[in-house]
Amino acid sequence: MSYSTFNRKQFDSMKEPMFFGENVNVARYDQQKHPIFEKLIEKQLSFFWRPEEVDLSSDRKDFQQLAEHEQHIFLSNLKYQTLLDSVQGRSPNVALLPIVSLPELETWIETWSFSETIHSRSYTHIIRNIVNDPTVIFDDITVNTEITKRADSVSVYYDRLIEMVSLYNTLGMGTHHIPGKGSVEISMPTLKKALYLTIASVNVLEAIRFYVSFACSFAFAERTLMEGNAKIIKLIARDEALHLTGTQHMLNLMASGKDDPEMAMIAAECQDEVRNIFIEAAEQEKEWATYLFKDGSMIGLNAQILSQYVEYITNVRMQAVGLDTCFSTKHNPIPWINAWLVSDNVQVAPQEAEISSYLVGQTDNSLDDSDFDDFDL
Amino acid sequence: MTSISKQDSLSKDLVHRVLLGKKQFLVTEDEPLLPQLERAGIHIEYQCREGYCSSCSIKLLWGQVEYPFEPLAWVHSGYMLACCAIVKSDIEIAFFHD
Repeated sequence: MSYSTFNRKQFDSMKEPMFFGENVNVARYDQQKHPIFEKLIEKQLSFFWRPEEVDLSSDRKDFQQLAEHEQHIFLSNLKYQTLLDSVQGRSPNVALLPIVSLPELETWIETWSFSETIHSRSYTHIIRNIVNDPTVIFDDITVNTEITKRADSVSVYYDRLIEMVSLYNTLGMGTHHIPGKGSVEISMPTLKKALYLTIASVNVLEAIRFYVSFACSFAFAERTLMEGNAKIIKLIARDEALHLTGTQHMLNLMASGKDDPEMAMIAAECQDEVRNIFIEAAEQEKEWATYLFKDGSMIGLNAQILSQYVEYITNVRMQAVGLDTCFSTKHNPIPWINAWLVSDNVQVAPQEAEISSYLVGQTDNSLDDSDFDDFDL
Repeated sequence: MTSISKQDSLSKDLVHRVLLGKKQFLVTEDEPLLPQLERAGIHIEYQCREGYCSSCSIKLLWGQVEYPFEPLAWVHSGYMLACCAIVKSDIEIAFFHD
């Protein structure tokens, strides 16, 4: 099977699974197998923001006054987030678009990826504003071992899926001998397993991996430092919370068998592996917290508190995809973070205060004769 | 005018009991469960407070809740989203880690 940008077959897309069915042809949304994805698109569009809208002039002064170990915490987190969004800005498109079979899901994947590119641009906006030479910071991302270790874990499942799908498209089903890789078995179950594990690892990326950085940014802002940065991170956190709902829906739909009965079997088979993806990510994030605070803590946060928060948030995210929780931490050690994560009071421009999801250019088209009653000509 | 005030007093009369372990709270149908429990001093994890992030998902052991709008988050059976669910009968809830 090779990918076609416009599949000429006639088929009922309402009967297709989310992935590995027919390639999509007409981008139509009049009939939808899973309407949730169009709702996510609408919500994401209503969240639209631009990094340039946030003024960072006082952040530059704040940054220069931070202690050296605090600058290390701040910049390391920015580097890590830059890595995560570099992966997320392209990978859902590259890995998932060639195998998606529903138009509404295809468009959600594109909308989702696009919003990640805004995040990437916002990191450049922040770094440009607080340091004289952004190059030093960006160049470190590919050589800093603490960051590259994490790059491997966030990209390994994507890369495996992309490789398997490209073998499937060029060579078809069967066991293929690939120079340097040995034999790779391509069958529907192995492809679906690779897909399921990829979605799980993306869920973990967006649901857990970002949160150590978020906590540090908000801890600075609690001290009224780096507030422009915190404003941007708040907008990013709002987007990420929506994205993780997207992957939770995919995982839950797959596991329920409502979308594709074969996928339900694969999900059950992969349960232990998915648990391990969650646990491994949590352990890595705890290590990351130790790295951040290696030269000193900041007011309100240290490696131990952050590790407890990672355990707590991992439990929350695991139960959201129907897994048993795995850490004993039962309480959020930094409950103040939720006031920063709440999307209700995200404010970019003053006129948008108190509006939860600001829609640009809204019009009211429902008019009847009575609306003109108070008109005098 | 009279009918409006009647409706007002009616909705205020609808008070339900919420059981959480050995604790018991009274809530109304005027707003979702989350802010009412917060006022009672109970910490519930939350994030978006708009029904899409699923952070405030808690176990609904028995009883009825309703959503004024369909939440975007996936709600597992036996669970409820505290941020947007209106309590419609006496209910018993539990946190996922209990």
